[in-house]
Amino acid sequence: MGIAYLKGIRVIACTWGWAGSWTGSILADMGAEVIKVESKRKLDNNRWHFKLGAAGGVNSGEFNFTNRGTKSITLNMRKPGAVKVFKELVKISDVIITNYTPRVMPSWGLDYKVLKAVKPDIILVSLPGFGSSGPNKDYVAYGPTIQAASGMTFSHGHVGEDPILAGANPADPAGGMWGALGVVAALNYRDRTGLGQNVDVAQSEGITSYLPEIIMEYSMNRRMRPRMGNRDEIMAPHSIYPCKGKDKWVAIAVGTDEEWKAFCKAIGKTNLIKDERFADQFSRWQNQDELDNIISSWTKDFTHYEVMNKLQKAGVAAGASLNVEELINDPHVKARGVYIEQNHPEAGKSTVFRSPWTSALTATNPPAPCLGQHNGYVFKTLLGMSDNEITKLTEEEVIY
Amino acid sequence: MFYKILQGVKVIEYGHLISGPFCAKILADLGAEVIKIEEPCGDEARRQEPLLGDVTGLERSGLFLYLNMNKKVVTLNPETETGRKIFAQLLHNADIFVENNPPKRMKELKLTYARVKKINPGIIMTSITPFGQTGPYKDYKGGELVMTEMGGVGFLSTREPDTSRAPIKYPAHLFSHQAGLSAAVATLGALLYHRGTNTGEQLDISEQECVMPDVMNPIYSYSYTKRIASRAGPLSVAPHHLLPCKDGYIHNGFVREEHWQQFVDKVMGHPAWADKEIFKDYPTRAKHWDELKPLILEWTMPRTVDEIYRTSQENRIPIGAVYSPEQVLQDRQMAARGFFVEVDHPVTGKLKYPGIPYIFSDIPKEAPTAAPLLGQNNEEIYCTRLGYTKSDLVKMEEAGVI
Repeated sequence: MGIAYLKGIRVIACTWGWAGSWTGSILADMGAEVIKVESKRKLDNNRWHFKLGAAGGVNSGEFNFTNRGTKSITLNMRKPGAVKVFKELVKISDVIITNYTPRVMPSWGLDYKVLKAVKPDIILVSLPGFGSSGPNKDYVAYGPTIQAASGMTFSHGHVGEDPILAGANPADPAGGMWGALGVVAALNYRDRTGLGQNVDVAQSEGITSYLPEIIMEYSMNRRMRPRMGNRDEIMAPHSIYPCKGKDKWVAIAVGTDEEWKAFCKAIGKTNLIKDERFADQFSRWQNQDELDNIISSWTKDFTHYEVMNKLQKAGVAAGASLNVEELINDPHVKARGVYIEQNHPEAGKSTVFRSPWTSALTATNPPAPCLGQHNGYVFKTLLGMSDNEITKLTEEEVIY
Repeated sequence: MFYKILQGVKVIEYGHLISGPFCAKILADLGAEVIKIEEPCGDEARRQEPLLGDVTGLERSGLFLYLNMNKKVVTLNPETETGRKIFAQLLHNADIFVENNPPKRMKELKLTYARVKKINPGIIMTSITPFGQTGPYKDYKGGELVMTEMGGVGFLSTREPDTSRAPIKYPAHLFSHQAGLSAAVATLGALLYHRGTNTGEQLDISEQECVMPDVMNPIYSYSYTKRIASRAGPLSVAPHHLLPCKDGYIHNGFVREEHWQQFVDKVMGHPAWADKEIFKDYPTRAKHWDELKPLILEWTMPRTVDEIYRTSQENRIPIGAVYSPEQVLQDRQMAARGFFVEVDHPVTGKLKYPGIPYIFSDIPKEAPTAAPLLGQNNEEIYCTRLGYTKSDLVKMEEAGVI
């Protein structure tokens, strides 16, 4: 059951791409009213990138996934008239979020100082790739660029091999979550003090903050932590093993001696318990290549789910390497309602994700908005503009 | 703390390793008072690498020191009757209770939400477990590797020519930290809602679900096309590679054709080979990558990471610098923002730590405090706050309570 933690909080979202939009959708999952400011002059890349299947109009699966539960208005911010309307909206809002490069909002004449003059307790949360200050603040920042600068990419790879690119972009969802943290922290502060804030998140630092082992290893011991593939520093076995079927794998992680014994029993190789090559955690770690071969020869005859369930029942950590179809249809994931199928008026049916807490409102929130879908609601109902005024601004391509 | 944003907010942490402690660290960084309850043997993270100078000891783990800065630490054995009583006293006075223990363990310790609620009806109990509090896998074991695979990211990591090699996880414990951050966001949302109402709730955070945002693209693609994304084959956008240069690697993150053209013209100075028909667009370059690669390397190898990174970026070309940990610690951008902080600690001395990835404009940033030694705040919390005498503490220690 959902809870509207941020009921009554209005958020203006000057966002594009993944990270900033992700912040907006997280806040919508918490019950905030999130109004995304867009323009036909320059569409959010995600509205036309990766258009698939039935997606009609300027909608895409990616846009719908990252903007779920929000509202959309169109304002051409290059026009002074649009900036005026924007300021009126600021007066009745609590929060502004943006992941534009730090040049953009000031180029509209909308820096924190100006916004604060319009609404003294406004909360502005910015989350550009490298932050809004410092010599590299204007550097072009896509997910892989950010991950590279964070130290993540260098440390990612198979044992003893060169670094490799990540299979997905962790910087965006991480940046989006740090942005949401900035919002809820600043709202708590405003609740207590009545004061607003500008919170500036650097997405690159957001990923570095996830990797203390790598940074502290160098800081303490002046040493690079080697690329470790699936290995752990102390646990063994700790790897991914082939299973029955094409491209099917299972992760197994054994920590304590107790788990090791349970593991040997579960796979029907109790002789390994007495094998001196694997007698304790240290020797298992030293001989993990041999151990991995033995385990692979067992796992290959079972499905990844069979291995997982068998080992978990014996008290050993194991997990099937789920592809996207298996993930969506997994009985546990289904039971927890993580993925929700929404019916979008222009884009048809597509799957979205709820924020990772069970009280998130995704299931009861509407799907992502069509372009300018909420112009009427925002300009007329919220801002009290007349039909004539709206028509005039539309003709002047201010509402555009 | 770094900022007095959550001043007056009281948090009890009963966490171990990463996700619970990172959640509580985020609250501590923002100025909440976090009292961490450790069992007398100490949080397992105290024994995790990296260890200063490769010397074991409970106060030398870089992971523990990072995750527990800005907190207070007491030792307590919640399996003893007195331990349980003290635990209840601590919860009675708190706004938030953060824990990442198996649901079965919390039941054994009589610390289920139903019981915690009786002690303090207004408390927010943030429970982080591998698979959450409900569903068929709720009692399954997790850990970074298992969660990465069960969250769908593992299967896609990393890009390979074919699928003969096993997937590999991201470095270190990236997703365990993401779970801690997600839990902190939910906790502060709930705090805003419940504060002053004398009602609370249990937040049910599943680490598996905290991995899942990272597979956004394959999920919506599947919902439209039923195509199952694989780690095999080339990247969908442009020829992305990690290219070695003089002192490391760069990443050519070209997203549009013009990025390649600008890189060739403005950064490489338009070498003659660039006009060859076989390099004219992305599909031909991808096809002839084996011929192209040595030509590019001939140019990159005498140049440094920063030289190529800066020249490209000044021309607004998305080249990434694949910084090593050493280069990250020396990065001028993070230095200008004050990201790394120096923290003094009685055992390790002064060390540079990653700080916080955000800056608040209208409130001063403060110096953080080091992670406490095991049991460092026992006297302060038990005697000054809860009214036990010093001789009580001695007796409780002898009885294995603290």
